[in-house]
This record gives sequence, C-alpha cells and structure tokens, in this order.
Amino acid sequence: MTKEPIDKKLVEHLADLVKIKLGENKKKITEDLKKVVGYFEELKEINTENVEPVSGGTLLKNTVRKDEYNKDRKLLAEPAVKAFPDDKNGYLKTPPVFE
Amino acid sequence: MFTIKEFQEGFRNKEFSALEVTQGIFKRIEEKDKDLGAYLSILKDSAYSQAAAADLSLAKNEKLHPLTGVPLAIKDNILIKDTNTTAASKILRNYKAAYDATVINKLKLAGAVFLGKTNLDEFAMGSSTENSGFKITKNPYDPERVPGGSSGGSAAAVAVGEAVAALGSDTGGSIRQPAAFCGVVGMKPTYGAVSRHGLIALASSLDQIGPLTKTVEDARILFEAIKGKDYYDSTSIDISLKDLDLENVKKLKVGIPKEYFIEGLDKEVEKGVQEARKVIESLGLEFEEISLPHTKYALSVYYIIMPAEVSTNLARYDGIRYGRNEISDSLSELYFKNKTEGFGEETKRRILLGTFVLSSGYYDAYYIKAQQVRRLIKNDFENAFEKVDVILTPTTPTPPFKIGEKINDPLAMYLSDAFSMPTNLAGLPAISIPVREFKTKDNLPVGFQLIGKHSRESDIFSLGSCYEEASKSR
Repeated sequence: MTKEPIDKKLVEHLADLVKIKLGENKKKITEDLKKVVGYFEELKEINTENVEPVSGGTLLKNTVRKDEYNKDRKLLAEPAVKAFPDDKNGYLKTPPVFE
Repeated sequence: MFTIKEFQEGFRNKEFSALEVTQGIFKRIEEKDKDLGAYLSILKDSAYSQAAAADLSLAKNEKLHPLTGVPLAIKDNILIKDTNTTAASKILRNYKAAYDATVINKLKLAGAVFLGKTNLDEFAMGSSTENSGFKITKNPYDPERVPGGSSGGSAAAVAVGEAVAALGSDTGGSIRQPAAFCGVVGMKPTYGAVSRHGLIALASSLDQIGPLTKTVEDARILFEAIKGKDYYDSTSIDISLKDLDLENVKKLKVGIPKEYFIEGLDKEVEKGVQEARKVIESLGLEFEEISLPHTKYALSVYYIIMPAEVSTNLARYDGIRYGRNEISDSLSELYFKNKTEGFGEETKRRILLGTFVLSSGYYDAYYIKAQQVRRLIKNDFENAFEKVDVILTPTTPTPPFKIGEKINDPLAMYLSDAFSMPTNLAGLPAISIPVREFKTKDNLPVGFQLIGKHSRESDIFSLGSCYEEASKSR
C-alpha cells in the first residue's frame, strides 16, 4: 500500500469518473478520504499469504435456472416503463447519446 | 402498545378489530411523529383496506396467518408497488416502486397491514439516520440523541408504538445498532435467509432484511413470515426454524470474545451486558472465553468492501432512470446535475471511496487485501464455533450519542458499528436484545448481541426468548 495516495488531484479525477461536482465540499471530502484511507494502513500488519479472498456473501455456487421464457417476467416490463421518467409509445426517452 | 402476540390474541378473540388498532396507531402517529420523525410517508388508504380485509377474513372464519391484520412499518428502501420509495435520497424523491419486494409480497399474502415507510440514512448508509435526505429521526428516550441507523425510523416507530413491528435492513449493523439505541429487538438473518429482491441494494454481499420488534418471540414470528428461498434472488437459501426447549437451550455453550470487551467499551454498556450475562448464567448455560483475533480489522475491511459494492450499486441512479430531477440536452450534464444535486455528502463520500479502492493500481492493495482479511474474520468465527454454539457481545460500544456529535467525523461514526460489522462480513445470524430492567445513568437503553452459527437462527431465537422469560421474573 502506498502512503498517502489520496490528494486533491486524485479526488478530482475520481469525482470526474463518478460524474459528481464537488464544489466547496472538495476540501472536506479530500480530508475525510485521507483520514479513512490512512486508517486502512493497519491491514498491512496482517499476513495474507495464500489466503483465498472471499467473493460475495453466499456459500452457494452456480445457482442456475432453466433458459426458458418465464411469463411472470412480463409483468415487470410495463410497470418498469411506467416508472421510467420519460417515455413515448412504450419507448424510453433520454437526451441524445451522440451530439 | 401491543406485541404481535398480544395483537394476535386480542384480534382472534374479537376484543378489537384490525381496523380499530390501525386507526389507533395512525392517531398516535399524528400526535407523536411530527416530533419523532420516524415516518417518511404514511399509507392510510391502503392500510385501512388491508385492515378491513383482515377483519373480513376473521369474520368469515378463514384460515389466518400469524401476521393477519398486524400493522407494520417498512423501511423506505424496501419496494411496495406503486408507492413512493425514496431510500431517503433526494435522487429518488419522485420514484414510484414498479413492483413489490418479495418480503412485501409474502406479507401481503399473509394479510399484514402496511402503515407507511420509515426514515433511514440515505441509501442505508450511516449509523444515526442523520444522513437522511429529508429529515432527522429522534431517539425516543432522549430527543437530543440519535435513534441509531440506518434503520432509525423503524426502530423508533416500534419503540413508541407507532407500529406493532417493523422491517429494516442490515449491512453493517443497521438493524441491530438502532434496535439497541431504541430499546427494541432487532435481528439480522444469515446471509441469504431473506430475499433481497425489492430491497434497494447497498452492498450486495452484506445486505439482509430483518425484523425490528418489541420481543424476541415477535422477531421470530416476523422472520418466519419473510424468510425463504426466492426465485428472484439467486443468493437466497431456506432456513429451518426448530425452537429449542429450555433443556436444549441449557446445553448451548456461550462464547465471550475478549476482543469485544476492551478499553473503548463504555462502562455503562459493559454494566448492562454483564447484567444480561448473569441472567443467562442463572439459566444454567456454560460460558467460555474465546478469541476472535481479527475483530479490530473489521472496520477497515468493511469500509473497503462496502463502498466498493456501493459504487457499483449506486451507478444506476444517474438521472436517466428511477428519477430525473434535473433535465439537460447534454447527456453528460444530465448525469452531473442529477447526481450532484441528488446524492448527499456521505453517499458521495462512499461512492468516491469505493471507486478509489477498485481502481487500477489500488485494487490489489485495498480491495483484494480486504477480501483476504474478510476470509480470516470468517475463519475466526468458524474456529470459535467449534468450541461454542452462540457468541455474546455488546451490540454497540457506546449508548446513543447526541445528534450532531459524530456527523462531521466519519471515522468516529463508522466505529459505532464496530461490534456489528464482523457478523455481516461473515454472513452469520445475529440478534440485538435490550437488557431488560436496565438503563444507563442517562436513562438510555443498552442492547446485547447474540451471534449464531450459520443458519442457526433457532439457537439465538430460543436463547433470546429464554433470556426474556427469565429476566421478567427477576
């Protein structure tokens, strides 16, 4: 782990990736992130050689279902379109993707 | 103020109708909630229909479910079809749920009554409900203190009788910690025991829906109604519940992990937990000191893994779907405007943190390392459970803190879940029970926690019930 990876430039880059504007909060959020990430240094103390990382919360493996049309799923399409902010004739409306 | 059991008896004996009780509770909400702030929205019309339907079922002598007619509060990150579901976030302020969560579907079939949606920390991120995008909820014991979080609204509602019982969600302690702070019972199931379909996802490998109730018996009733393998949640599993009688409860060995009884533990909380321990000892159970050596690293592990999953799960709230509160002709600007205006500070903080730990160059050092230490935390519990059956700990390191006290110090806030996070990381069932007949010097409740083996909800429910019985007769 590198010391002090969090700085103003990195936080600006992350905010850009995530698509949020930080504004006047930028300084506080940078300080908070520095503090929290600094706390993580303690994990360096632990020897994790040959330790298998956990992946997910379940002990189940390969939960599958038949590749069949399930008519109950259709019930989700209509309400989902209704819940979408803007639609026209059943098509979902968004701003232009290509400008 | 009924328990589920008391409601069942009175309702079935026709001492009162479900409609009368529901009306009574709405009256109480009208009187108390403008100060308490437990609810974000009330569902009066549908609640009255549901209550009337329950009364009709009884009148027709139909087969009743244990939850028929029972008025429940639902945390506002659980979807009820066609109702406003906000996760206490401005970005979802106008979102109407497109479907019922599986737990809601089960409860509808059981004939339960939904009173309304309760307040939470935004997207269930927080330990005080102060991060709600809409309002503060106060602690029922002291209005200057927090009810805990993120299920603070549900816990407060149950504590003051604004609901007979409630549903919450727990990712790092969000049911158990507010339960302890509000003097009610709160339970987190084994990971997968309750379907997450229709729960607004926070951290998918940690989230679970669970009950908040006045008694352990009530928690068991509500858990039984909502549990079960679900087609729509491929991580869900079936848990069998077989109550243990007192003879078998006595055979359970209780582990006391030394890492939970350390200097940072508030003296009043320690006093309360020791009181609970004495009652359990008086039942004849054997205790053994155990060690969970990686306990102190759980906070780092949790605050790497959870924000990582959050950054992925919250990417969908982009202003395109679910809620478009700011409009723009430019796609990029639409994303920026909606997210910047819609997300609160803690939410932004955790999304940035999660993006950081998953980014190239840092992924191995933080995310993978955390998942490895998570394995060690899981192993700690597995090793301990070879010697004991149940583990007893304080639920929280301190009693309820004051509103505003920790909100500007994220680390201090995160530490309030120090004793609850490990069980989410390990996927184990755990219940917080208020120490009966005990309050701190400031007249605040204290909760103790029972952690069970994977899928052994029966052990913690049965021991918890025996504790409640025994502490009544003292």
